[in-house]
Amino acid sequence: MILFENRKELLLNIIKWGNNPFKKFVSTGEIKEGLDLVNSRIDLIQKIKELVESETNFILPIIGDVGSGKTHLFWALRNNLYYYNTIYISLEYVYKKLFSNIYSEFIENLEMEPLKFIVNQLCDKWGALERKFGFFHVADIEKVRKYAFEQLSDKYNEVGPETLMDVINGITIHQLDPYKKIEAERWLLGELMDEKELSTLNLAHDLRKGKNAYLMLRLLIENSKSGTILFIDDFGKIISIMSPQSKQVEEIFDPSWLYGTEETSNDIAADKIFNKIVQLQYVKGLRIIITLKSKESLVDIRKKYKEKNPELLSSIREPFYLLEFKEEDIYELYSNTMSKFYESIDKSDFTKEFQNPFYPLNKRILKYVFEKAEGNPRAIIKLLIKIFNEIIYSNESIDVILKDYENTSS
Amino acid sequence: MSNTENIIIYDSVKGINLKGDFEGSIITRCKDENNSIIFSDNLKISDSEGIFISNGLRVGFELIYDKKIAFSRKIEAQWYEDFELIDYSILISEDIMQVYDEGQFSDAFPYTLNKLNTAALYLDDYEYGINHLEFFREEMLRNPVSLVGNGVIVADRVVIDERIDPVFYDCLIVGRDEEGDLLVSFEPYMNVKKSLSDLKYIIILGIEAISF
Repeated sequence: MILFENRKELLLNIIKWGNNPFKKFVSTGEIKEGLDLVNSRIDLIQKIKELVESETNFILPIIGDVGSGKTHLFWALRNNLYYYNTIYISLEYVYKKLFSNIYSEFIENLEMEPLKFIVNQLCDKWGALERKFGFFHVADIEKVRKYAFEQLSDKYNEVGPETLMDVINGITIHQLDPYKKIEAERWLLGELMDEKELSTLNLAHDLRKGKNAYLMLRLLIENSKSGTILFIDDFGKIISIMSPQSKQVEEIFDPSWLYGTEETSNDIAADKIFNKIVQLQYVKGLRIIITLKSKESLVDIRKKYKEKNPELLSSIREPFYLLEFKEEDIYELYSNTMSKFYESIDKSDFTKEFQNPFYPLNKRILKYVFEKAEGNPRAIIKLLIKIFNEIIYSNESIDVILKDYENTSS
Repeated sequence: MSNTENIIIYDSVKGINLKGDFEGSIITRCKDENNSIIFSDNLKISDSEGIFISNGLRVGFELIYDKKIAFSRKIEAQWYEDFELIDYSILISEDIMQVYDEGQFSDAFPYTLNKLNTAALYLDDYEYGINHLEFFREEMLRNPVSLVGNGVIVADRVVIDERIDPVFYDCLIVGRDEEGDLLVSFEPYMNVKKSLSDLKYIIILGIEAISF
């Protein structure tokens, strides 16, 4: 029978088994972040929420330094605006097959039932649900396709008739041809398909083809009942690949040998991405949020819009800034993370157990971390990971480890 | 006119006779010896001229020599001057029809048999009875129309189960309650046990009959 349990010792033991409450210092678009924003950033979310709810088409730049929590902001937005389809794309990793990648993300976020509903509504608009004798649906697929083509060809004339027919065929087969429905569903989900599979469906390309993916995205977003937010992280990549490289860097391969002196391969790549982003701006109901590392990047982007698409310049909203943490924020971050940690080890009661609310650290150490990291969230988390790792791996007692930090701070 | 409630346009039992033009999904049950049913998207009714239906589909049985044959015949335009020939006409609400539509596009059973021509699957008749249920056991057929007791069943598909009983999926049911009032309902599926119910007939509508 346990008469007394030393909770502090128990917590330290659990940590010493290798359980670091602070595990990662980089957010990604793939791994869900459960931790909400700190209080000082709630206003920012509110402002974004107001903009998203009042306007349907815009580009909103979010400017923040490296490690200031731009990607984490995406997760906070997604949690707060759960009734929107919020998609994440990082230009750092995805700048080839942009539309296809956005489509995959969109479908993953949307899920199957809403996708079927939108596709069904589209077919209804194209006259597929017409009831013969008031009751019977015997859709004439060819008639439906012809009508759909007439309806869409003016509106989406920039994609070309082949793309339009592919998309109309894919959708109508899925809804109206029960014998090919399963294959058509694979196509709708953006799966890779070979020539044989495509020819069974009478389609030329799957949705890896940019134009097809773009048109499908457009149709789905414009006909979706919930709005869509596209969060493009590291948007400054467009600028960085366009900016001239230092002359001092010795080049083994000079791209001008292939592309001529007027335009480098980087220029072409940047232009392609830029044009695709511009195309996305024509999708009704698509709100775009971009993240940038500096104000200068925004100036460059505005300049590029002015040169190439001045009519879209007005869609770029005034930027919101992700400021560094205030001192109170580190205490909040620490407390929230520790609470999550206690939940994960099934010891939620530990949140109120210790006299020092920041046990096993203390307020002086957290202040030291804040000052040392200069308020940068990523640097703060890195330092906290380091301290906890020392607690885990050092043979010294916790008091000795913490004293070292306290001495450094004083 | 988009109706949110079922409208009984004509009911010979309850003496309902609404004059005017009606559009939507209308089921008219005839009082002939073969219990035929008319599906139409319009119906006009007046005291002087009777009931007028254009572009409808009449479904039933006819006796040809010594055989009863199921038919589905398009009605271009027809007056039913004698109200005695009609049991009831009912306009199904748009809400119910929308639920029915969703069932029509269900992808749960993609491999359903479509018949090209209208044919009888079952007819309960002492002299001219038809029973092809055994032949279609564990198969699924599209567009069945059935008469069970007082009720008309129009379904998206019918499955003949292992006990050789029909199971209707995504079906509209129109019938009378104990007091003779007309009622309409939608059922995702309905099992009709031949031994326990008064199954009069099942007709499978051919694609040709409802496509052109």
